[in-house]
Amino acid sequence: MIQKIVTKEELYKLLDSFLQDFEAIGPKELANRGIFYEIIKNAQDLYLGDDFTTEPVKKLFLSPSEWLFKCQYKDSKNSLEEIVLTKTKRIIIGVRPCEARGLELLDKVYNSEYKDESYVNNRNRTVIIGLSCANPDRNCFCTSMGGSNVESRGTDAILFATEGSPERSRGDKDGKFILEIITDKGKEILGSIGRELSEEEKKHWQQDKEKRKDLVKTKIKVPEDLDKIFEDPYWEQVSKSCLSCGICTYLCPTCHCFDLVDEERKRLRCYDGCAFVDFTLQASGENPRPTKKERYRQRVFHKFDYFKKKFGENLCVGCGRCIRYCPVKIDISEIVDKASI
Amino acid sequence: MIIGYQRASDGVLAMPCFVEREEDVDKLIWDVYCVYNLSNYLKDFPGKKIGIIAKPCDVKSIVVLLQENQLRRENVYIIGVECAGVIDEKRLRLGAKDIQESATFGAKCKSCKSSTPSICDRLFEDKEKKGKISEDKDEYESVRKLEAKSALERLKFWEEEFSRCIRCYACRQVCPMCYCPKCVADQTMPAWFSKGANLKGNLSWNLIRAIHLGGRCIDCGECERACPVGIPLGELNKKIEKDIKELFKYEAGANVEQKPLLASFDKDDPGDWIK
Repeated sequence: MIQKIVTKEELYKLLDSFLQDFEAIGPKELANRGIFYEIIKNAQDLYLGDDFTTEPVKKLFLSPSEWLFKCQYKDSKNSLEEIVLTKTKRIIIGVRPCEARGLELLDKVYNSEYKDESYVNNRNRTVIIGLSCANPDRNCFCTSMGGSNVESRGTDAILFATEGSPERSRGDKDGKFILEIITDKGKEILGSIGRELSEEEKKHWQQDKEKRKDLVKTKIKVPEDLDKIFEDPYWEQVSKSCLSCGICTYLCPTCHCFDLVDEERKRLRCYDGCAFVDFTLQASGENPRPTKKERYRQRVFHKFDYFKKKFGENLCVGCGRCIRYCPVKIDISEIVDKASI
Repeated sequence: MIIGYQRASDGVLAMPCFVEREEDVDKLIWDVYCVYNLSNYLKDFPGKKIGIIAKPCDVKSIVVLLQENQLRRENVYIIGVECAGVIDEKRLRLGAKDIQESATFGAKCKSCKSSTPSICDRLFEDKEKKGKISEDKDEYESVRKLEAKSALERLKFWEEEFSRCIRCYACRQVCPMCYCPKCVADQTMPAWFSKGANLKGNLSWNLIRAIHLGGRCIDCGECERACPVGIPLGELNKKIEKDIKELFKYEAGANVEQKPLLASFDKDDPGDWIK
């Protein structure tokens, strides 16, 4: 790993020089709307402050809706046409450590035993430049989920604002970043800028980095075995205010359920979520998860039980989006924490 | 059971509270963070007698539910609260730097005409909050601004907004008026518009949602508040509300005795558009 110190100007200048050959995507603030991953035309448009993007980086790998193939009926013949996948190389900058970890978890589903063409293609054509969180908010609980705000797992390089500012949204106030280059891809892209840290600085930085983990204040206990309380009335209690909308699943960096729909002689794969009433509705009219209780319990169990049993890790990275954006403030961290008593 | 508000896990905001046991009554709170329109939960308990804490605006949606026979008056015990406005939770979420700064009221509060619920079984008065809170601002100011644009400009504006829609249907789920047993968006045989989060499907969905609320939306602002990608859905609702007021002199949720707009007609209704 290479550790460097870079100025914002250096970084932006380098990014601007890439814009011709690469697609560059990063967080951009839309006034009164939120922060969104958008194609960046000018590095100055980047938002590298404290607040998170509304939608996680997942959507750039697993599209909210994408065409899988087209059918045609011409001259009394059926034909099937594949959708051509774009090979354009791209850099995504400003990816949070939790989102990058989320991608590694998605890899277990879409890029291991089964290889999803579109997902793998998106993974292969992307360089990920992370951004550590200098001011995690009260909904963040990444350190309880086996990650942290300073972790580099899943990134090719990662930026750290040098001084965590007490004021929110100004994490990059003094215009300098510590840059850690993790992979060869990252070195190729960012190797040329900044100066390397001295041995003394490295030691100091290591300590500072450890300390930054304490900024994540919310700590929860993740239950070892939820199975025991599957039938507990607890699930009915905690799900009562759930509206059965798709915010928590669609904004989750790790939720990956989808629906297949045929439209206009094309097959569409689009997001679907376990909170929806129709998610498990069968053609017979039977619905195995008829009430909020079964549906909310499914979300918790998929994340904190089933996935762990199958893949060895929990399917939650503690980014807090589902809490931040829940229209009725259902807090999964609190619910999981209390479930372990 | 009583539906009210309790403190959320962050210690600041509120969340819905369902009180079924006497000892849970202590959980109930009432302050500026109680933004939710709880009448949305009434449909979860059909036929059951429910007590509900309701702000003046929330009461309007109860009125619409009563008008539309979705609720029996004897099955709902309305605990009205006087209200001088609740926080703009959307702005708070969008990174207002501290809670105080964000404690400015939402758009619906700024044009609110009454701090006292129109109907209720029990009223909690608040002397301090009594009185109009409306800043006497033109409540259709931003609608008029949009109307002044050309059709193409408007299309561009809404296409940009709807292109962000992720089809999470939070706008529908949070709406007390959205109670169709099978929403048009969920139908598959036939599918009326694209299920995908593409512009075509998003445009259809958002316009159908708004139009289906014509004459029924009481501007509680929940859809816009819930929308995670910040689509100004309130503008659409307000535009339809304004048109209906001008054309039919009808205001949703104002009078429980009145027939719902779409269930009534008058020989003097404007009919120029029928050719």
